[in-house]
Amino acid sequence: MFGVFDILRDNWLLLLVGQYPSGPLGGISATLILSVLGIVLAFPLSVLLALARLSPWRALRWPATVLVYVVRGVPLLMVILWVYFLVPMLIGREVSGFTTMLCTLVIYEGAYLSEVVRAGIQALPKGQIEAARALGHSHLGTMWFVVLPQALYNMLPSMLSQFISTIKETTLGYVINVQELTFAANQINNQLLTKPFQVFFILAMTYYVVCFSLTQLALWLERRIAHKRLGAKAIPLTDGEAPPAPTVAAPL
Amino acid sequence: MLSPNPIAGRPSPDPSGQEDAMILFNQVDKWYGDYHALTNVCAEVKKGEVVVVCGPSGSGKSTLIRTVNRLEEIKSGQLLFDGHDIHAPMSSMALNKLRSRIGFVFQSFNLFPHLSVLENIMLSPMRVLGVRRTDAKAKAQQLLERVGLSSKAGAYPAQLSGGQQQRVAIARALAMEPPAMLFDEPTSALDPEMVGEVLSVMRSLADEGMTMMCVTHEMNFAREVADRVWFMDAGQILEEAEPETFFTSPQHPRAQRFLSDLRAH
Amino acid sequence: MKDFDLLAILLKPEFGAMLLHGVWKTLQIAIGSWLLAMTIAIVLLVVRLTPSRIAGRIVAGYVSYHRNVPTLVQLMLWYFGIFSLLPDALQGWLSEHNAETILSIVALGLCQAAYFSEDMRSGLRSIPAGQAEASRALGHSYIGSMRHVMLPQAIRNAVPALVNHSVSLFKNSSLAMAIGVAELTHAVKEIESQSFRAFEAYSVATVMYLIFSLVIMAVGAALSKRYSIVGAR
Repeated sequence: MFGVFDILRDNWLLLLVGQYPSGPLGGISATLILSVLGIVLAFPLSVLLALARLSPWRALRWPATVLVYVVRGVPLLMVILWVYFLVPMLIGREVSGFTTMLCTLVIYEGAYLSEVVRAGIQALPKGQIEAARALGHSHLGTMWFVVLPQALYNMLPSMLSQFISTIKETTLGYVINVQELTFAANQINNQLLTKPFQVFFILAMTYYVVCFSLTQLALWLERRIAHKRLGAKAIPLTDGEAPPAPTVAAPL
Repeated sequence: MLSPNPIAGRPSPDPSGQEDAMILFNQVDKWYGDYHALTNVCAEVKKGEVVVVCGPSGSGKSTLIRTVNRLEEIKSGQLLFDGHDIHAPMSSMALNKLRSRIGFVFQSFNLFPHLSVLENIMLSPMRVLGVRRTDAKAKAQQLLERVGLSSKAGAYPAQLSGGQQQRVAIARALAMEPPAMLFDEPTSALDPEMVGEVLSVMRSLADEGMTMMCVTHEMNFAREVADRVWFMDAGQILEEAEPETFFTSPQHPRAQRFLSDLRAH
Repeated sequence: MKDFDLLAILLKPEFGAMLLHGVWKTLQIAIGSWLLAMTIAIVLLVVRLTPSRIAGRIVAGYVSYHRNVPTLVQLMLWYFGIFSLLPDALQGWLSEHNAETILSIVALGLCQAAYFSEDMRSGLRSIPAGQAEASRALGHSYIGSMRHVMLPQAIRNAVPALVNHSVSLFKNSSLAMAIGVAELTHAVKEIESQSFRAFEAYSVATVMYLIFSLVIMAVGAALSKRYSIVGAR
């Protein structure tokens, strides 16, 4: 255990930014950038998918449902393999591991996030939609002006949970040599060879601190939203120890 | 042992009457933190008596009735049920045994949704009292007939109306053959048209001589069935009287205000 | 794009063998870790229900660790880290007996146990308070209440979440590839690199994973229906 602080002292830069500037940006910076980009780009896709799944038009509903079920039913590694194979074929040139991972995350999280958005929309009292339609709004207008603003706000804690999942999913970039935190840790281990437990302990604890803090943030958000939506009598949806696991939690 | 009755003019209950007391409150006090929920409650329910407890919301009536089977704890004082000190320190086995002898009917029925109506009634005699399955079943069917729901033996709670569920809940409590029954606002969660069917079951129980303590807002029931009415406010029993006396000429000013508020409806 | 030629993969004996071996390994890991996870989850639940504050904290810590650390990292910590701390004799024995598979099962099982126990706990907490009161009021002991009233309802409530997490567990078996287990994803990656038929190879694996996932979900739906509370909306 005593090696932990030495390892940290010697390698903190690698863990923080990878081999930058003599290489691509790596370490935890890459992890966070990948996660943020992944979830931000996945978000519009997820809203579209959710709306498609709830739309009255079968031509939209079925493909969207199939896509979501397929992505939900297949391991993330498989999606990575597919993207690694298909994207260069589609755009005609080689893509970096980082781009591959980003595309994978966008598709994977897009599907899972669409379930969260869908749940949020369906949880809204029917009266909201009825009132909007009674006032003359079209289906899309109802969605845009009445349903989505409320649903998305209510689902913020769940979306934050998905973001935390995304951070955990970036670790699979290791398998295709994306220079994120797990890759950096393995580099250190391959150099040191004598202290594997300490290295991976540091790795685990780093992720733990990041994800745990975000989890606490999600909890705080959830309490705040419940309070706002329900007034002073708000009862948190969970026991105050874990935010609502996203309806389709992808533990990775 | 009993302190003098706080109502001026009424004589203290005679000591010999204490042997008939099914439920005895002796200087019972309860606090929720700083809030004094029950204040120096002294009262008794005699064997075969029907007592109705009424009062405005927040008066402590539900808290009072829940102390009888120790769903609520008390801070000081004594509570005897059929001679047993309910709040004395005791093993959980002993408490369970005592509870099995106190029938309790909840406002929200609390039937077990994963069991059929018949199974709901049979479960506790079998598992708590050790009654044999065939005997429990026969008793359950008898009780279902008693409350008018024989046809619903195989149904599940979610398939029944509120009034039907509450009648099953009464049968479930009766299956344990308790010497007394406690009712905590049994009809408050029911739609108006279903209140009558539950009250008539309660009335028939009273007619058979069951000792009953009911917290209820149903004033007609109180007038026609109760032997005595307790009026509670702010954790105290402010007035105890026979129904006719209570409803026509209440003594305590808060009781008077309560009744006139009710009539104003 | 080359012609889609599924049989080129399936018929070639060595590819067929790799696929079969991959499926077998995947099933080993998935079933092994599922059983381990369920067992530990029940233990965690029982510990959590004891009145001891410390026990509650320990379980909460266990759950917190396994939910916040990525599964792949947990796997690495077990295989590279904890393995190296084990006594030499144990290391030797494990190395001869599929260390990768065993450690995968251990890591994945312990991880999923955290999720399963939380699902069961939510199932318990979603039971209305009146149920416990009613059963205590009738004289049932704590254990009796649990056995006859609370747990039957808790399990019914928890089934959807448990099914979801079981599918996740199954998919997580693919992570074992990162520590060298020749499970299904590894197998098709190998086939692809040897035959250059990525489309066909990946499709086979995709279809297989989908079938497994759908089977698990169907079993869950059937269980849900069979034990559903009659009449509940």
